[in-house]
Amino acid sequence: MSSTPINFDKTKSFLIDTTKCTGCRGCQVACKQWNQLKAENTKFFSGEGYQNPPLMSEYTFTRVKFKDYQKNGQNEFAFYKEMCMHCNEPACASVCPVGAFNKTAEGPVVYDAGRCIGCRFCMIACPFGVPKYEWSKAFPLVRKCTGCYSRIKEGLQPACATACPTAITYGSRGDMLKEAERRLNNRPERYHQAIYGKEEAGGTSVLYLTHQPLDELGFKPVTKRPLPSYTWQALRLVPGIFLTVGGGLSLLSWFTHRTERVRREEAFKNSKVQPEVETTEAGTKEESR
Amino acid sequence: MTAAKLIINEIRGYHRFLKFMIVLVVLGALASLVRFIFGLGVTTNLNDVYPWGLWISFDVVTAVPLAAGAFTLGAIVHCFHIKKLEPLVRPAIVTGFLGYSLVSVGLLLDLGQPQRAWHTMVYWNVHSPMFEVSMCIMAYTTVLFMEFLSPVCEKLGYHVPLRVLRWLEMPLVIGAASISTLHQSSLGTFFLIAVDKLHALWYNPLLPLLFWLSAIFTGISIIILEATMVHRFMGQPDESELLEVLTKILPWVLGVYLVVKLGATTLLSHGPLFDRPSLLALFVVEIIIGVIVPMFMFMKQECRENQRMQLRGASLVIFGLVLNRFNVSMFGMEQADQAIYYPSIIESLVTIGIIAAHVLFFVLLAKYFPIFEHHPETVDYSIPDHAHSTTVEHGHAHRPDNGVVH
Repeated sequence: MSSTPINFDKTKSFLIDTTKCTGCRGCQVACKQWNQLKAENTKFFSGEGYQNPPLMSEYTFTRVKFKDYQKNGQNEFAFYKEMCMHCNEPACASVCPVGAFNKTAEGPVVYDAGRCIGCRFCMIACPFGVPKYEWSKAFPLVRKCTGCYSRIKEGLQPACATACPTAITYGSRGDMLKEAERRLNNRPERYHQAIYGKEEAGGTSVLYLTHQPLDELGFKPVTKRPLPSYTWQALRLVPGIFLTVGGGLSLLSWFTHRTERVRREEAFKNSKVQPEVETTEAGTKEESR
Repeated sequence: MTAAKLIINEIRGYHRFLKFMIVLVVLGALASLVRFIFGLGVTTNLNDVYPWGLWISFDVVTAVPLAAGAFTLGAIVHCFHIKKLEPLVRPAIVTGFLGYSLVSVGLLLDLGQPQRAWHTMVYWNVHSPMFEVSMCIMAYTTVLFMEFLSPVCEKLGYHVPLRVLRWLEMPLVIGAASISTLHQSSLGTFFLIAVDKLHALWYNPLLPLLFWLSAIFTGISIIILEATMVHRFMGQPDESELLEVLTKILPWVLGVYLVVKLGATTLLSHGPLFDRPSLLALFVVEIIIGVIVPMFMFMKQECRENQRMQLRGASLVIFGLVLNRFNVSMFGMEQADQAIYYPSIIESLVTIGIIAAHVLFFVLLAKYFPIFEHHPETVDYSIPDHAHSTTVEHGHAHRPDNGVVH
C-alpha cells in the first residue's frame, strides 16, 4: 500500500468511449507487442461471444469483448475493452500479504514479481477479475496489465492508448472525468448516463462511456465503497483484541489462581518447614504444599 | 541389526490401520511431488475463475478451526481454572500442534512460490488478513511446539527445560488464546474482501466474529471426538465424565453463535438471500444439523452423560463446521453462471494424505511419548534433581527459573 496520499485527480487515467470503439483490436495487439506476451491458440466461439481469446489470461492483459444486440431490426456489435481498472484504492494491494501490489502516484497499479509468494489472494479480492496466474508453470507468478508504467514514466502513453485510432483518451483523471461529463451532456441520446469507474470500487483510473446500460455490456456491478475498507474495519481491531483477550485472560487467571495461591502460602507459613540436609523424601515436600 | 532394519521391523509390528495410513501419506507425498514437477495448472482443477480450491478450503480454512482444541481447552483449564480437565490438555496440544504443522504444509503446497514463504516476515502489509494469519500461524505453531516439548522432555528426562516450560505454562496458554482469537477470526476477514462474490447468506461484516465463535465450539467438539476415539481404539481410560463438563459449555457457545449468525444474516447482509435454492439448502443444513440439533442435544442431561450421544453431538458440530467453511470458501463463492469446481485426483490425494498424516502421527506420538500419562501434581520439576536434599529450605518460594542456574 502506498504511504503518501495520492491526489487522484492528477493520476493518469484512461477514458474509454465504447460508442467510438470499432472493435479493431489494435489495443490487444499493441499490448501483446509491448509486453512481449505469447500468442494464444484460439478457436472461434470458444467463449461467450464473438471475441477471442475467450478470457483475459497470463498471456492476454487486455481484450475487446463483443456484444451482439439488435438496433432497428439489424444486428449490431457493441464493444468493451477489458483491462486492469487501476483502482484508486486497489483491493489487490490491500490483501497482498507481502505488499507486491502498489498504487503509483502516476496512476497505474504495479506488481512486483520479486516479492510475490503466489497465494492468489489478489485474484480472490479483485472485483473485476483482473489478476491472472501462470497456471502452466511449476512455480507460478501473477500477471496483469501494468498500465504501461515503464512507458508513462518516460512521458509516453500506454501501448493500447497509442494504438487506438478512436476510443481511448489518456490524461489526468480530473481532466478525463470532465471530458466524460462534457460528452454525456452534449449528446445525451448517444450515451447511457453513467461513467463506469467514476465511483466503482471507490473510483478507478479507467473510465468507460457506453451506449447500452452497463450490465447489458457485461460490466460487473461493483460496490461504490473502496474495497480495502471492508477488511480494514475488522483488521484495525486486531491490536485491541489481542490486548483485550490477553489482558482479560491474564486477569482472570490471576483471580482463579488466587485462592489456591493464598491457601498454599498460608500452609507454608504455618508448617514451619525446617531445612533437612540429610534425607528429604518427595512425600514430605508434597505435604508441605 | 542396522537402524533401517530396526525401523522396518518396528513398522511390521504396527496395526493394519496404521499401515494403511502410511500408504495414504506416501501417496499424498507423491502427489505433492507431482504438483511441483508439473505445476498447479495441470495437476489441479484450479483456474483464473476459480483460484482457491480444496487446499485452501480444507487444508487451511477448515483445518485451522479443527485444530482449535488446544487453545480452547488451555483457556478453560488454566484461565477458567477447571483443573480436573487437565488429563485432556496434552492430547489436545498434540492434536493442535500436528494440525497447525499440517496447515503449514498444505499452505506451502498451495503457494506458487513456497520457497519465498519467508517474504511475509520481511515485507509486512498490515492491511492484509493473509499477512495477519500467516504471522499468527507461525507464532502459534511455535507456541504449540513449546507446549508439545513437555512430553518430549519428560520422555528424554531433560529436567532443566521442563522447569522452564513449567514456568512458561501460563504465558503460553494466554498467548495461545490471544493469537488464536486473532487468526481464527481473521480467516473470516479473508472473505470480507469478496464483497460482490461471496453470497449474502454468508457475507456479512460479522464473519470474523462468527469464525471465532465457531472455532471455540469446534475446538471443544474435537476434544470430545478425540478423547472418545482414543478410549475406543487406543485402550485409554474412559473420560466421558470429564467430557460431560465440556458438553455443558457447548450449548452456550452454540447458542451465542446461532443468535449472532441469524442476526447478522438477516440484519447486516446485503443482497438477496433466497435467490439460489442450492445455496439456501446448504445454509439450512449447516445451521440445523451443525448448530441447532447438537445445541438441543447437549441441553439434555441424559445426552451429556451418555458417551455415545456425546460423540454423536460432537460429530454433528464438526460436520456443520466443515460444511460452513466450505460454504464460505467454496460453494458460496461460486457464481450462478460459473462452472462448478471439483478437486482433481492430485488435489484429493494430497488432502487425504494430510488427514492420514494427522491420524498417523498422533498414534505414533502417543505410542512413543507420554502424552496420556500426564500427572503434573506428582512430579515437581521446580527443584533440581541433584539439589533435592539441599534446597528444600527454599520450598515453594523457589522459582523454577532460578532452577536453571544450577
